[in-house]
Amino acid sequence: MQVFDLTEDEKDVLQELMNVAYGNATAVVAEMLDAFASLSIPNIKVIQTDELLATFSELKSESYFFSTQAFNGEFKGESAFFINQTSANNLAKHLELESSEDLDDAILELTNVLTSTLTTKLSQEMDTEVSFSLPSLSKIPLQEIGKTSAFKHYSQVIVIDTDLNFQDQQIHGKIFILTKDESIQWLKTKLNSILELLI
Amino acid sequence: MAQNKTQQYIRTLDIDKKIVANIDNGIIVLNQELNIYHFNKWLELHTGIKEYEILDKKIDNIFDQINSKTLKRKIKTALRIQTPTFYTASTSKYLIPIKVNQLNNSSFEYMQQDVSIIPFDEEKGLVALILTDQTIMANTNALLEANMETIKKLNAELIKERDTIDKKVLVIKFDKTFCIVDISQALLELLSYNKEELLGKNFLYHEKNQMSQDFQMRLVESMKELQVLEFEESIFSAHGHKICFKSTLVPEYNANGTHIGFIIFRENTTDTKRLAQSQEKILASSRSAAMGEMVSMIAHQWRQPLSLINTIIATLKIKKELDKLDDEAINEAFTKIQTTTSYLSDTIDDFRDYFKPNKKSSEINILSLFDNSIFFLKEEMHQNDIEYKIQGEENISIYTYRNELLQSIINIIKNSIDAFTYSKSDTLNRQIIVHVQKLASHVTISIQDNAGGIEKDILKKVFEPYFSTKSKNGTGLGLHMCHTIITEHLKGNITMNSDNNTTTTLIELPYSILKGIK
Repeated sequence: MQVFDLTEDEKDVLQELMNVAYGNATAVVAEMLDAFASLSIPNIKVIQTDELLATFSELKSESYFFSTQAFNGEFKGESAFFINQTSANNLAKHLELESSEDLDDAILELTNVLTSTLTTKLSQEMDTEVSFSLPSLSKIPLQEIGKTSAFKHYSQVIVIDTDLNFQDQQIHGKIFILTKDESIQWLKTKLNSILELLI
Repeated sequence: MAQNKTQQYIRTLDIDKKIVANIDNGIIVLNQELNIYHFNKWLELHTGIKEYEILDKKIDNIFDQINSKTLKRKIKTALRIQTPTFYTASTSKYLIPIKVNQLNNSSFEYMQQDVSIIPFDEEKGLVALILTDQTIMANTNALLEANMETIKKLNAELIKERDTIDKKVLVIKFDKTFCIVDISQALLELLSYNKEELLGKNFLYHEKNQMSQDFQMRLVESMKELQVLEFEESIFSAHGHKICFKSTLVPEYNANGTHIGFIIFRENTTDTKRLAQSQEKILASSRSAAMGEMVSMIAHQWRQPLSLINTIIATLKIKKELDKLDDEAINEAFTKIQTTTSYLSDTIDDFRDYFKPNKKSSEINILSLFDNSIFFLKEEMHQNDIEYKIQGEENISIYTYRNELLQSIINIIKNSIDAFTYSKSDTLNRQIIVHVQKLASHVTISIQDNAGGIEKDILKKVFEPYFSTKSKNGTGLGLHMCHTIITEHLKGNITMNSDNNTTTTLIELPYSILKGIK
């Protein structure tokens, strides 16, 4: 298996692109929730799936909702969004939701907004297009994530890990953008052509 | 060119309109205030509402189930981020109520819909809602979920059962190459091994030291033939304890019926074995105790005839010295000596018979059996001033093991005699009375003495092994052996009762040991 790793420069560029995309995403979510949002600086790394599952398992201490959404195009992959029970409840309160189904829908919406704004912006910056599948909310308990086949398709992934904070509402989430080998290769090429333009 | 012409022709058509009209999806165009701009043919057909009837009306007024706030939020978001937003069937079920009319979709009343809200015209704030029928998928999911529930339940049961088996059943599994693939916790604990120590080891090699060459051959033979084999084996645990098993070798097959290996189920028989061995020991020591008793009895029996012979010889000597020894006297003396020695010989035979356990049952007359046994004890009873009486019909015969019964009777009467001597009872008319009675299903023999009776809490224990009231002299095996012989060998019952001064031992015996007591 070929192991990809991002150089410092590539990481820098991606970090910059992500910051732009994140700014965009936060703005939209803030608008959607009508609240001020802040984002931690995204932490970008290429890791093996095993490590990813270990990261997920760190989240197990609390009860989490877990949703995923696939995106397709030259840059393709899946985003995984985690939001804990307390945050989800606050989200429900904020949106004045009545039933748990409405809450599920709201979480999916939040996932969709974050994923599409992030990836759309990112792909725009990289001069490509992406399309989105319907997001799905995982019904599987978090402790069984390691067993689900979904993540087995990824040998290594780019993890763009950030915390989303709507401080007034106390809504925290964690989003991971997972991409497969060929997308990582494509991304490296893209990042390098951007780098060349900058120099 | 034909191809270009076709392409030109197609361009003259309003492709989108035609396709939108015929596509198998519902399409609605809305503005941010939820006013309807377009309602496609698919929706007309499914809802029975015509586009012209509802154009420019608010969709949430027409379908009042729609949550306007959520829909508005989604539309606003889609327009803002310029990518689709969604409703998914799995959480939102449906947006536009459309009755399901297919019979096989009976688990839902309304069509389950995925809805994509795509930005259509940013300037005018229009979006298009694309509805996809997901009923079949939702149905499949519901079915799957229901089945998953069943599977989960079954699986839980299975795991529980497996766990029980693992904890309770002694079982070892190995594959066709005799490589141990599984071993139950119960067996591991018994043998004091860790699973890791045994997994992957060769079964034959691991247990070979404890198997005879012959047996190994037989085992391998059965394995080759894929036969079920029941056998006894003993294995040394990791701590060196010998453990006996009754085992069953069973070939194991997978779900396709392919032979994959073997399972041995084991039953720990160590305790049973030990019990049988101790029973044998008890029997042996009771035999030797009885033997000792018999020797003293023989001595007793011989004393009188021997002194008779002595007397005859002495008389002969005197007559010879007095010169009065004639032929008649010699003949008379010889006849007497002959009778006496044959009596001595008979006594030996009788005792020898008594020690030989019968292999075959035979017809026994009970009264004459008592005569035989009393013959051994008469002298002792006489010395102790005990009167012996037997009552009952003369012709009572049963089919049983003669010597076993004889041994038991002697034991019981001997106990009664001992009771008189040990208790030092001052009963004037010392008596042992035997009463034999014929009943419909069996024969009863009661042996009663008036030697003072037995206390209740002692009475409970008289048939237990090594229980004796005779301190030094008793082995404590007599009555226990009687009990074993009568209940197990002779298929009868024995009970003991005591009342005031008397003790009664009641023996019940079947007419035939082959049939038992009905």
